[in-house]
Amino acid sequence: MKDYYYKRSENFEPDFANLLQVLKGKIPDRPTLFEFGINNRLVGKLSGQAKEDTSLRLAPFKRLIKSFVNAGYDYATISAWRTNTLSFPKGDIDSKESRSLNSGNMITDKKSFEKYCWPDPEKGDYDIYFDLGEYLPERMKLVASSNGGLLENVIDLVGFENLSLMYMLDENLTTDIFNSVGSSLLRFYEIVAPIETIGACIVNDDWGFKNQTMFPPDMMKRWVFPWHKRIVKVIHKAGKPAILHSCGQLKNVMDTVIDDIKYDAKHSFEDHIIPVEEAFDSWGERIAILGGIDIDFLARSTPAKISQRSETMLRKGLSRGGYALGSGNSIPDYIPDENYLAMISTVKMI
Amino acid sequence: MTELLNSIAKMVELGKINKDMPFPPELKGKDGASELTLKALKNGIDPKDILNNGLMPGMSRIGEKFARGEAFIPNMLIAAKAMDAAMEHIRPYFSGGEIPTRGTMILGTVKGDLHDIGKNLVKMIMTGGGWNVIDLGTDVEYKKFVNAVNDHEGSVVGISALLTTTMLNMELVAKELHLIRPKTRIFIGGAPVSQSFSDEIGADGYFRDPYSLVRHLNEEHSI
Repeated sequence: MKDYYYKRSENFEPDFANLLQVLKGKIPDRPTLFEFGINNRLVGKLSGQAKEDTSLRLAPFKRLIKSFVNAGYDYATISAWRTNTLSFPKGDIDSKESRSLNSGNMITDKKSFEKYCWPDPEKGDYDIYFDLGEYLPERMKLVASSNGGLLENVIDLVGFENLSLMYMLDENLTTDIFNSVGSSLLRFYEIVAPIETIGACIVNDDWGFKNQTMFPPDMMKRWVFPWHKRIVKVIHKAGKPAILHSCGQLKNVMDTVIDDIKYDAKHSFEDHIIPVEEAFDSWGERIAILGGIDIDFLARSTPAKISQRSETMLRKGLSRGGYALGSGNSIPDYIPDENYLAMISTVKMI
Repeated sequence: MTELLNSIAKMVELGKINKDMPFPPELKGKDGASELTLKALKNGIDPKDILNNGLMPGMSRIGEKFARGEAFIPNMLIAAKAMDAAMEHIRPYFSGGEIPTRGTMILGTVKGDLHDIGKNLVKMIMTGGGWNVIDLGTDVEYKKFVNAVNDHEGSVVGISALLTTTMLNMELVAKELHLIRPKTRIFIGGAPVSQSFSDEIGADGYFRDPYSLVRHLNEEHSI
């Protein structure tokens, strides 16, 4: 009788080399899965530990790693929001199922910028990335990400509409804020990327709305992209691939993402913006494409249809390389478990 | 006269609020929408002409550019600021300080959802297009929509949602509104919604961008 909720196979052993092949644009030795985040309830089921044990420092991460292994991933994600390494205090932000991009108001002018208590990335607890090594199966790695990206953090501190006006009316203050956040994030990746347990880094920074980027490309080129370029450079310097997780319509800036910033992979796709199948056709020869099975589709479709679409996309990806199967964003709590399992179990069919 | 109104429209489109404003850099030190509107009033131009042939065309142009992907939300925000600054000068010329409108829109983000960027954008474009907008804010219960529609007879309704989970709450709003006032027209918007979802929940339409919505409504409503 099985004593687990789901397992890719009885003898499954994670091997990061598979994801590495994908990130290099190549065909992996076996169908490969990619997910940025899985909700806590599902992590509980997949790991066999329903409740997170927070009394021990490493226990929640052991549980996370176990869930990723059972689900069939070659890595586990480790986000800085879990590791007490680097986070920018945001003040009180009202949130329910969602929150407004206008809720940030910690920095509104030069005075509040100077008063703001900037975090020191040197003071984070980075030992955890080393310590988790003993819980990783031999060929499994961690994929590290920061606690939000450059633009996300600046928006959280300033507010979207405030920032929209600030960059037009006060260029110097805008530069100061982006430089403060950007330099901290750069240092975070400088420290984390070379660590042995880290196989790759995700730089998570939402840039787009449904129809276009949040800000004009000129604004992004001036304040956002240069920091991303530097971050990718330090990740590459450590010999690790850099994955961009960015939601929204990025069509206008994808050439910059690929040719100038030089990301190895792009994650986050939405059907109403560009279905992953089209994204793979458009950019798949120049950058690895990760995940992409639309969240709304996963939430509202049937296991049979999800399985069919996942298999078709996986086969398409395996025909040319540079693709790993997963959701368009992450697995929130409202996606039925059977739908998620229909997606990931597709790897067993090939 | 036409030249001055064209300049006002241009300043609104570019988001040049006033002379002191450093944006756009190429117009630094030049009169903005505020100064040009004062100048137009001083020259005896009818405030209604300033509104219809200066301010509204400026907002309309930036809305069109946004719909074509040539302008971005910050451009719309700054244009709305320029229009607001100019409106302050013409408002006293209208009876009771009330600017004439094409009609009223009840606008809100659906219950459970705190996203407001899209909603605010619709508000800006609708206001700039000559509509009175009653903004109910975010996380709005269906009853608030119903009460607002009862208070503003003949109003149209705009509902926004950003999440797959919260968009489902639109159906209750549409159902309750149509139960009480069957002729109320309901339009939906937001990242996860589509025309097929609009049809599914019995709404009257989905628009991909706010300019398309205001253009659609303005075809039927004049000032």
